[in-house]
Amino acid sequence: MLSRLIEGRRAWLLAALLFSAPAAAQLTERCASCHGPDGTSITPGIPSIAGQPKVYVENLLILVREGVRGSAAMQQQMKGVSDREIIALAAHFAKLPLRPTPGASNAALIKQGRLATARYRCGICHLHDYRGREGSPRIAGQREEYLSDVMRAFRDAPPPGSEANMSAAMYGVSDADIRAMAHLLAHSP
Amino acid sequence: MHTHARKVLTAALFAAGFCAPALAQQTPAAAPAAAPAAKPAAPPAWQQGRGAAMADSKLAPHAGKNTETPASEIPIDKLKLPKGFKAEIWATGIPGGREMARGAKGKIYVGTRGIGRVYEVTDQGDKRASRIVVDKLNQPAGVAFQDNSLYVMSIDKVLRYDGIEDKPDVPAVDMTAAFNIPLTTHHNWKYISFGPDKKLYVPIGAPCNLCEPPEHAAQIRRYNADGSGMEVIARGTRNSLGMDWHPKTGELWFVDQGRDWAGDAGPEEELNRVTKMGQFYGYPYCHAMGIPDPDIKKDKPCEGVVKPVTTLGPHASVLGTKFYTGNMFPAEYKDTLFIARKGSWNRTKKFGYDVVNVKLSPDGKKAKVKPFLTGFMNAKDDSFWGRPAYLLLMPDGAMLVSDEQLGAIYRISYSGGKKK
Repeated sequence: MLSRLIEGRRAWLLAALLFSAPAAAQLTERCASCHGPDGTSITPGIPSIAGQPKVYVENLLILVREGVRGSAAMQQQMKGVSDREIIALAAHFAKLPLRPTPGASNAALIKQGRLATARYRCGICHLHDYRGREGSPRIAGQREEYLSDVMRAFRDAPPPGSEANMSAAMYGVSDADIRAMAHLLAHSP
Repeated sequence: MHTHARKVLTAALFAAGFCAPALAQQTPAAAPAAAPAAKPAAPPAWQQGRGAAMADSKLAPHAGKNTETPASEIPIDKLKLPKGFKAEIWATGIPGGREMARGAKGKIYVGTRGIGRVYEVTDQGDKRASRIVVDKLNQPAGVAFQDNSLYVMSIDKVLRYDGIEDKPDVPAVDMTAAFNIPLTTHHNWKYISFGPDKKLYVPIGAPCNLCEPPEHAAQIRRYNADGSGMEVIARGTRNSLGMDWHPKTGELWFVDQGRDWAGDAGPEEELNRVTKMGQFYGYPYCHAMGIPDPDIKKDKPCEGVVKPVTTLGPHASVLGTKFYTGNMFPAEYKDTLFIARKGSWNRTKKFGYDVVNVKLSPDGKKAKVKPFLTGFMNAKDDSFWGRPAYLLLMPDGAMLVSDEQLGAIYRISYSGGKKK
């Protein structure tokens, strides 16, 4: 726990040094207040952002700032944040290691989740270890309830934007499969 | 409970059909024009038609870039052109910029996809300023200009801005109901163009990689500028975006992107010519110069299909298409065709990422395709940095090229080797 704190602090200091604008450190702090000091969220419904591909975070945060994607709360947070600041934030959190604590796993759900992720070919974009790449987020080790919520949202109320692929991927997927995939992914290293 | 769920899952697996031929056979029965009700999951639209042989492929569409790229981060020196031509950065800070339209007073309008914006670029002589005309739209890729009005077409909206060059805050006239465009998302991030007949030409793509398209899709239409009088110009097109009219004959020429998941060799993309209204260009049964589709089969698949003027390479993502009618480039380019190839994703080695020049005769015979603007891609490490998406001719004869990846516009000019 202590080493985690120290490492989190070191990353924070590094970020503060790297960012040219004085507001940059305040920005990372603002993110950390909900998403966890090291980018690993311990709050239900709020995703972890450590270890996410840089391009994915950049592109998503722009869409959030533009009011195209994301919750009202996140849109409020991103108001007036510049492209440069978004690029720096994405670089910062991409480098932080994700340290999830998903709790006990359910063997039957894991098994069903494996079948379902193979069936829906999640690994093509998110890669076979689900660590993500380019515009596809890391889904390994993400919070379980968040994964469920997002997959259901893509299925039931697809957001606009080129991420239409994800809505198409979730088309017709059952609640049971979503639950199983979320459980498997949350418990993936 | 879980055993039951697994049985259901296995059954669904069989029912849905895991490989492309099974899906293809299923599609005709499951393709009414109405919005589909719940049914077994189909793979994402861009994956449809992928056979078992490519089931483990990691090929996926490349991520775009929503953030601004400053001029200092654009490797413009890597671009290569024939002798005497020059490429320079003309405008930056327009993430996702695709189709461009020039207003009567010289302002340039630029459409986008994911970021949902339409930009207005104003030439201030030594630099360009840009502003956002409208945002939060669903893939507003299509922009066109006629009679002092800007037309914007997204997946689900048609907007008109009257006199926008003088009145930056003019409210949009919503033309959506008049045009009554299909609302399916896939392949409907359209480019739109006004023809010499002052009608608005609108491609409606196939809502999939490979399927029997519904009656209203896989076609090019034209409308009167007010949305009335819709006519279908061409059928059997898959994902056609770039088009232009031959300067001598006035005939419509258009490019069409080929299907995915049929291997690195293609089928190659097409340059087509419209000699008669409503002709059939082959999709989904017959591709390129007469290749029957390996998955959606029918008897004599290429019978009655208009063959392309020429093919344009495998998975090249052919986009902006312009006849050169300017007076700046050498005479050999007069009335030839330039085509932007945004570049492949569904190919193990990248292809395209350039602008080609097509020398041709007005009847479409003797077409010769030659790379013109290259250097966006590095074949050695299979990397790319830019993706040309649209071409626009300027009154001085220079050509603007939009780069969707870096949100920039480049200006291509010719000075015959003379230093400016």
